[in-house]
Amino acid sequence: MADTSLIDGASASISAAPAAKPMPTPGQIALRRMARHPGFWFGGIVLGVFVLAAIAAPLLTPYDPGTQDLARRLAAPVWNSAGSWQHPLGTDHLGRDYLALLLYGARISLFVGFATVLISGLIGTVLGVAAGYWGGRVDLFVNFLLTVRLTLPVVLVALVAVAVLGQSLPLLVLVIGGLLWDRLVIVTRTATQQLVGREFVTAARAIGSSTPRILMREILPNITSALIVVGTLELARAILMEATLTFLGLGIQPPLTSWGLMISEAKSQFLFRPWLIAIPGTALILLILAINILGDALRDVLSPEGRA
Amino acid sequence: MTPLLEIRSLSLEIPVNDGLLRPIRSVDLTVERGETVAIVGESGCGKSLTSLAVMGLQPQNARLSAERLAFQGESLLGLDRRRWQAIRGKRIAMIFQDPMTAFDPCYRMGDQMAEILRQHRPVSRAEARERIVALLRRVGVPAPEDRLDQFPHQLSGGLRQRMMIATALLCEPELIIADEPTTALDVTIQAQILRLLADVQQETGVGLILVTHDIGVVAGLADRVVVMYGGEVVESGTTDEVLGSPRHPYTAGLMRSIPVPGRTRRGQPLGHIPGLVPRPIAPLTACGFLDRCEFRHEACAAAPVPLRSGAGERQLRCLLPIETPRQPAEPLVAATAIA
Amino acid sequence: MGSFVVKRLLVTVLVLIVVSIISFSLVHLSGDPAVAMAGERASPEQIAEIRKAYGYDRPFHEQYLSWVGRFVSGDFGRSTYLKEDVGPVLARHIPITATLGVLALAFALLVAVPLGVIAALWPNTIIDRIALVLAVAGQAMPSFLSSLALIYGFGVMLRWLPVSGTATWQHYILPAVALGYYAAPAIMRLTRSGMMDVLKSDHVRTARAYGLSPWRVVLRHGLRHAIIPVVAVATVQFGYMLGGSVVVEAVFSMNGLGNLAWLSIRRYDVEVIQAILLVIAATYAVLTLAADLLNAALDPRIRTS
Repeated sequence: MADTSLIDGASASISAAPAAKPMPTPGQIALRRMARHPGFWFGGIVLGVFVLAAIAAPLLTPYDPGTQDLARRLAAPVWNSAGSWQHPLGTDHLGRDYLALLLYGARISLFVGFATVLISGLIGTVLGVAAGYWGGRVDLFVNFLLTVRLTLPVVLVALVAVAVLGQSLPLLVLVIGGLLWDRLVIVTRTATQQLVGREFVTAARAIGSSTPRILMREILPNITSALIVVGTLELARAILMEATLTFLGLGIQPPLTSWGLMISEAKSQFLFRPWLIAIPGTALILLILAINILGDALRDVLSPEGRA
Repeated sequence: MTPLLEIRSLSLEIPVNDGLLRPIRSVDLTVERGETVAIVGESGCGKSLTSLAVMGLQPQNARLSAERLAFQGESLLGLDRRRWQAIRGKRIAMIFQDPMTAFDPCYRMGDQMAEILRQHRPVSRAEARERIVALLRRVGVPAPEDRLDQFPHQLSGGLRQRMMIATALLCEPELIIADEPTTALDVTIQAQILRLLADVQQETGVGLILVTHDIGVVAGLADRVVVMYGGEVVESGTTDEVLGSPRHPYTAGLMRSIPVPGRTRRGQPLGHIPGLVPRPIAPLTACGFLDRCEFRHEACAAAPVPLRSGAGERQLRCLLPIETPRQPAEPLVAATAIA
Repeated sequence: MGSFVVKRLLVTVLVLIVVSIISFSLVHLSGDPAVAMAGERASPEQIAEIRKAYGYDRPFHEQYLSWVGRFVSGDFGRSTYLKEDVGPVLARHIPITATLGVLALAFALLVAVPLGVIAALWPNTIIDRIALVLAVAGQAMPSFLSSLALIYGFGVMLRWLPVSGTATWQHYILPAVALGYYAAPAIMRLTRSGMMDVLKSDHVRTARAYGLSPWRVVLRHGLRHAIIPVVAVATVQFGYMLGGSVVVEAVFSMNGLGNLAWLSIRRYDVEVIQAILLVIAATYAVLTLAADLLNAALDPRIRTS
């Protein structure tokens, strides 16, 4: 925020006299806009805190999420009159420390989210770039795949797949990643189509650059900002999907833990101890909210002309 | 007698990120009953905004101020919604530039016109239809009954503009504002539409404001011309005076940029005014046309130039007006406009 | 227009064929359904018998073709768990999910469209900001959490509404809200941006310049246009709701298609799972087709060219 004169200079140059100051690069402009965008700060900080907490889980709680202590089961959280600082968030029906479950659960939720986006990002980018770059039959084919994918009910197909193939973490990631690539294809396809018509791609073709070279050097670097924006929003979708599948009993299985699993296991206690659901539920909502807001902020900053 | 429309010192300010846009700066304009006044200038000179402001249709965040803005002696300043509604379309009607987008693409032409008529007059559907068909016939729309059931996109540009004119005439307004009525049309169609406007004006005696960037269409149609630049009136007078001997360098520049049949030789480059219309962001401290003027002088940069009255109806905002021997009014220009 | 419909129909059929192959092979991916169906204490002879009875010993493509053949002729197979034909089972469960979906969509539209219009009419005001916050917050809430929150708030604390089953129309209110609100933000944003665009358009300026009343301008000449893309999105959202009903029906113990799917997956009731997958996919395909046709009906530029 130290130097805003450049931005002012840039807009002033639209009026009569051109500014003598050097024009900032698009990257610099984006960074400055980011620094000014409250959504970027909120989303980034919350997501950062969650990631750090998940990584540093063993430092933040002395308990192991797997250790059961039936003598201390269903202890109330500290803000409840019956609660104590021994278990700040209380314990669950097996006497496991709820804070430990929450912290270690964050690891799973975030891991599933990021790993899934890597897979769906790969599928989506390959299909989208191919469709946008070659067009014609390739585009028709990708479009057809997209229609098929959209026609499949995601939650049901994921449930069936997990039920049939077995319930392991890598498989869950594969299944979700193999399903949630639709928006990535749409966005990368449009972004690539716009690039293909531009001079520098035509120029690269004219000087005889090979297709892989054009794709890697000209197309990919220029669709990254669009990719980052959808990728962020897809991260939220993937985390929600994991929580939903797990809530329905077909996602993460003990001894692993996740927020969806915590909510699922607390269902029976829900009327008497609503905090058992409220705690992981709030964490989940806050995380998704932060990622979505970050994604919206990134879209505002990286592609201001593409606001929905 | 009170003029039909009286504008004194009309200004418009629009707050934007980096300051205050001043697209209209203290404009005076009078239109008498049955008179045709042309407002001429390049895009961005404030002429369209002036005409929208007369209808109370300036942008929502714009701040409008005027010493007087009166229609038939009644002030239009601070009218509430209902009284605006009673004026718009009924007493002042507007003809828009692009007849393609000016009509709602979702409704049939007949329904759109009937909706407007029935908004202002207690007529039945059948009566409305009858009046619309008669008007369409009047403005030269072939097979008017069939047009009523068509959608805007099914009509040609010329036909749409004829129907726009018919729409403007629906409620027998006292003033019609035509904002670039021919800009979006083919050249041959342009002439037809201008002739139609002239005929309609003659027949009904309606007051007409013709907003245009093309000074060539003005002759033969307008009684008076008001030339605007940078949100200001820079020159005004009767059409004969202004076109016959333009005295402001800007007017002269506009005149040079139109081809004159018989005088402009084939292949001869047309005149143009170098530079662009500046973004009207700051209060003026010099002549507004300074940057682009070929005759500029030190005195022009010293202070804003006032609008001074000359002989007759002539008004001019220039310290060094062009002194040309008076020529007879140019009938040649008229030939391009109304062939 | 005619060729457009034929083309769309053809694509729809092709998509459904691929979807049917996917759902058929998905269920058979585990290898041998007969093992699962026979139960844990079955002897190898019993398993072989089931395998033969259901045709699981035949080549994959033969099984698929015979399944599709039966499906098209209206024979949806037989549930191994419920010991009855799948057709009547579906017929029992579909009305519940359909009712839920329609109510959820109605709720989403009733909330989102007015909010979107208001936000567009007064952009960057408090109302607009609140609508935006609601939209962002709404999208962050998974439907199982909103279901639980609604049950806790309106069922347990306030005791206003029933929270389990489908006995009366009141039973549908909370599930419909839980299912519908997730679609509301998308519809709201679309309505808002559509309205903002159309309010800037020339024909709205014409309507204003000709003295039409503000509501006429906003509704007849504004919303009419902004609603066109909303129709398409709402139809698609309805398709999602059918799939998403799994969660809501499970939480509210509603005996609809979603709950049946969930139970059948846990029971490994192959024929029922396949039938539900295909029915939901087909419904979605038909809905998107309908959305395209509806678009054409709403926009004379498409209809008459």
